[in-house]
Amino acid sequence: MTAQAPPARPPRAFTSDLSIDELLLVEEVGFEPVEFVFGTSYFHTGWVPAAWTENFELTQVSAMMLGARRVAMQRLLAHAQQLGADGVVGMRLDMEREGHNAEFTAYGTAVRRRDGKGAAWHDRHGRPFTCDLSGEDFWGLVRGGFRPLALCHGVCVYHVAHKSLGAWFSSLSQMTMNMEQPQFTQALYDARELAMQRMQWEAGDAGGTGLVGVEVRESSHGWEGHIIEFVGVGTAIRPIDDATHEVHEPPQVVLFAADAPSPG
Amino acid sequence: MANQRPQAQPQQPQPLPQHAIERIQGMRGAQGQRFFTSDLSVKEYLLIRESGFEAAGLVMGSSIYHVGYQRGNWSTNMEMNVLTQALYHARELAMARMEEEAHELGAHGIVGVRLKIRQHTWSTDLLEFIAVGTAIYPRDDKQNWRAPNGRPFTSDLSGQDFWMLLKSGFRPVSMVVGNCVYHVAHQTLGGWFKTVGQNVEMTNFTQALYDARELAMERLQYEAQSDGASGVVGAEIFEWTHGSWDPHVIEFFAVGTSVLPIAVTEALPTPQLVMTVDS
Repeated sequence: MTAQAPPARPPRAFTSDLSIDELLLVEEVGFEPVEFVFGTSYFHTGWVPAAWTENFELTQVSAMMLGARRVAMQRLLAHAQQLGADGVVGMRLDMEREGHNAEFTAYGTAVRRRDGKGAAWHDRHGRPFTCDLSGEDFWGLVRGGFRPLALCHGVCVYHVAHKSLGAWFSSLSQMTMNMEQPQFTQALYDARELAMQRMQWEAGDAGGTGLVGVEVRESSHGWEGHIIEFVGVGTAIRPIDDATHEVHEPPQVVLFAADAPSPG
Repeated sequence: MANQRPQAQPQQPQPLPQHAIERIQGMRGAQGQRFFTSDLSVKEYLLIRESGFEAAGLVMGSSIYHVGYQRGNWSTNMEMNVLTQALYHARELAMARMEEEAHELGAHGIVGVRLKIRQHTWSTDLLEFIAVGTAIYPRDDKQNWRAPNGRPFTSDLSGQDFWMLLKSGFRPVSMVVGNCVYHVAHQTLGGWFKTVGQNVEMTNFTQALYDARELAMERLQYEAQSDGASGVVGAEIFEWTHGSWDPHVIEFFAVGTSVLPIAVTEALPTPQLVMTVDS
């Protein structure tokens, strides 16, 4: 199949990990699921020597942890593109660590525009969009007049100083005192900001005007406790330019008949 | 005494780290070229816009704090003021930095503020306090939603709650907190003999915990009153004990959002009854 051929309906059934509600909502805004896609990458996270008494970023490790995620996502995207998909919804990235090796897996459901005008939904580089939105959130976003562009990541792996012997002795004399530890505050604050800043760059590069659902996660991945990885994750979005796009009505106040509000 | 805030010093604008300043500049962009980040869900984001606001950016503040040591008297119910002060001041620092980020962004307020406490494996006597939320500003730049003191308002309301609050004629002023670290007396041997084998209220313990909770709530109330608010919504009270403390030492932490009525209110639409099909 050439890239220019009109997307003919594949003879086989689609696969997806969408729930029934999600499927109906994705269909409702003019998309159809194509296939459940995934991409993996296997990385050696390595041994990081760390007995320094300084706070600093391990830039190479940061680059590697970001690279590993990117490779997994690129493979998923390549698969989606091959299928003629216009985007991926419900994307998530898992990491499984075995000793010093880590496997990154990206999953999601590739979807395609039913009217064949999917190109308007691609990101700034013409790639299908990716997002970690559920079918419900995807529907809400599109009905609200926005479209997702890309799931963006920013990574910063940071080494927190070990206390020197002198510092340890002076900490004895401070034992009873309440005080902020500015050097540590500064270090971790800065590391989180770096992760978020890099995620923002990625979103800007995809052509986004903003990011929703941002989370900053932290983990030591079984490295020594002084090394912490900060990862910012969020979905870049931008307004839909199409003037004919139908934006939904203001929300209504609703009382549920059940005691607990239904999910969503 | 109970009416005093644990720490009287006024909240100072806090200096921000280098990358925070760069990130904020990135979000402010050139004229009209804003770029936002937010930890709002899609629904929350849409409701914030529906209320006439735009997301300005995800804001954060952090403080790593050395919490001092205080010994509780074995058989006395008492407040551990050193620890109360420490936990209050550290949260205040984190929140003030978050507010400063929002202020730098030109935002009028912060919604969905969450306070977290972390202990890192590399130093057990340090606690990290983190405050995260999404800064917002009104689309209509003639409006002013800042708190009476001219700083951005803060609130732990979700996007849904914020929308509802505004619709019902109130606006958030600030996220108010109150805390109290309390040492609960150990029971004396004599006391044990008196009560063993009986159904009896342990008035000693009841009083201690009751008192500690009241203190935390009273301080929260005091904060709200000194902010000029007319009430507090969504107040919650948490209790926890820190890993390296004596288990008889408990922190009671009250948090809520103080609110003020808006002069002009539109009538809240009548709620509709909806029966969902899923259980």
